[in-house]
Amino acid sequence: MTTEQTFGFAPVSTDVITDALVSFLTQRLKTEVAPDQELFKSGLVSSMFAMELVVHLEASYDIAIIGPELKLDNFSLVERLREVEGVGAEGTGEDG
Amino acid sequence: MAEGLASEHARIGELVGDQPAEWDLAGELPDGLLRKLGAEGILCAQVPAAFGGLGARSQDNGELTAYTGSLCSSLRSIMTSQGIAAWTIQRFGDREQRRRYLAELTSGQLAAVAFSEPEAGSDLSAMRTLIRPAGDSVVIDGQKVWTTGARYADLLVVLGRYGDGAAAVVVPADAPGVRVEPVTDPMGCRAAGHSHVRLDGVRLPASYVLGGGGQALSLLFTTALSYGRMSVAWGCVGIVRACLGAAASHAKRREQSGKPLAQHQLVARHLSELLIAEQVSTRICEHASRCWDAGSADMVTAAVLAKHVSAGHAARSAATTVQVLASAGATDGHVAARAYRDAKLMEIIEGSSEICQLLLAEHALATVP
Repeated sequence: MTTEQTFGFAPVSTDVITDALVSFLTQRLKTEVAPDQELFKSGLVSSMFAMELVVHLEASYDIAIIGPELKLDNFSLVERLREVEGVGAEGTGEDG
Repeated sequence: MAEGLASEHARIGELVGDQPAEWDLAGELPDGLLRKLGAEGILCAQVPAAFGGLGARSQDNGELTAYTGSLCSSLRSIMTSQGIAAWTIQRFGDREQRRRYLAELTSGQLAAVAFSEPEAGSDLSAMRTLIRPAGDSVVIDGQKVWTTGARYADLLVVLGRYGDGAAAVVVPADAPGVRVEPVTDPMGCRAAGHSHVRLDGVRLPASYVLGGGGQALSLLFTTALSYGRMSVAWGCVGIVRACLGAAASHAKRREQSGKPLAQHQLVARHLSELLIAEQVSTRICEHASRCWDAGSADMVTAAVLAKHVSAGHAARSAATTVQVLASAGATDGHVAARAYRDAKLMEIIEGSSEICQLLLAEHALATVP
């Protein structure tokens, strides 16, 4: 699925991405989420949520988040998630 | 789109033939058959063509899985394991790992995925297997139980703890320190090669750890299990279809009290329930596959729902079918007897019915403020 996608990431200001992420998280988690809030260690997200978030980000930004980008550290904070998107995904190059 | 993978359906039909009863009784699948299907990409049909796979959509692979499941749940279980391994590598592997391992998994190498441990079944967060970095190597210690397909596997994708998080490492089954002990006399899916796996100081190059490791354990197992749930769900559709076919043809032919069984109303009700089960589980799997193919975040819950509903229908349908066939289906190896034993296990693996219910309840709660 993911490797078929092309890298269609248009330049978007980081604030716009942060806002979109905070809004998705707030809507899904039914609670206010701050950009610097710990998502996993706080127990805020369910065991299923991490995968839902990855799939949501891929669909929203037309990227593939695979391989080393799926490290825990990259998903700990909204601020870090934004960086994952900025990088795009390492699997979107010649693989696909 | 029912035509997707038509030649693969035919190939499975041709290679499987009437052997499933024999495989069930022997508790073993022919290794050559598995490697042949593996080399044709059929065991993990969703692997993209760029990696040597068939590039099937979830929907088409689902129907292929159901067809295989209607013939033999042991073979379908191997398909599930190979598919989970490929999907996990595709998601978590780096570029080189995807290239290398997905090529192997589509050219005859067989893989199994080791989740459960003696103390970590439904609660996978209690996993104790340790993957420890040691310079350019990693050392793996742990014990896994009921690893589907491990008996036949060349590669074991082992999930374990890694630093503060988790990792999946691709362990060659013949690496020093690996011991694979087949489960003796499993109740169902008897030929699926379920095995206990011991890993004692297994030292491998660090490059065997998918994506360098350090993922969240929940992300790792939810991702892997989501594919497994889709595959089991479709496999259960196959069990229900086999049951419906066996019960309907028996009820049509067998006469009691001067008329075919099907004309006895209580038997007719069983047939209607089997048809309902077949339709409901097919539709719920189609929905989950649509979510999967569309890349919708709903796919995670849809997979749990599909697995839970289909496994429940498969278990009830199998019991109903044994009831309708009575003595005609009550011998091991018979399609009804196999369904009865195999389907029960489907309510246990890839998240027991109770775990699925908890996840679904959590989802229900998450939709209200």
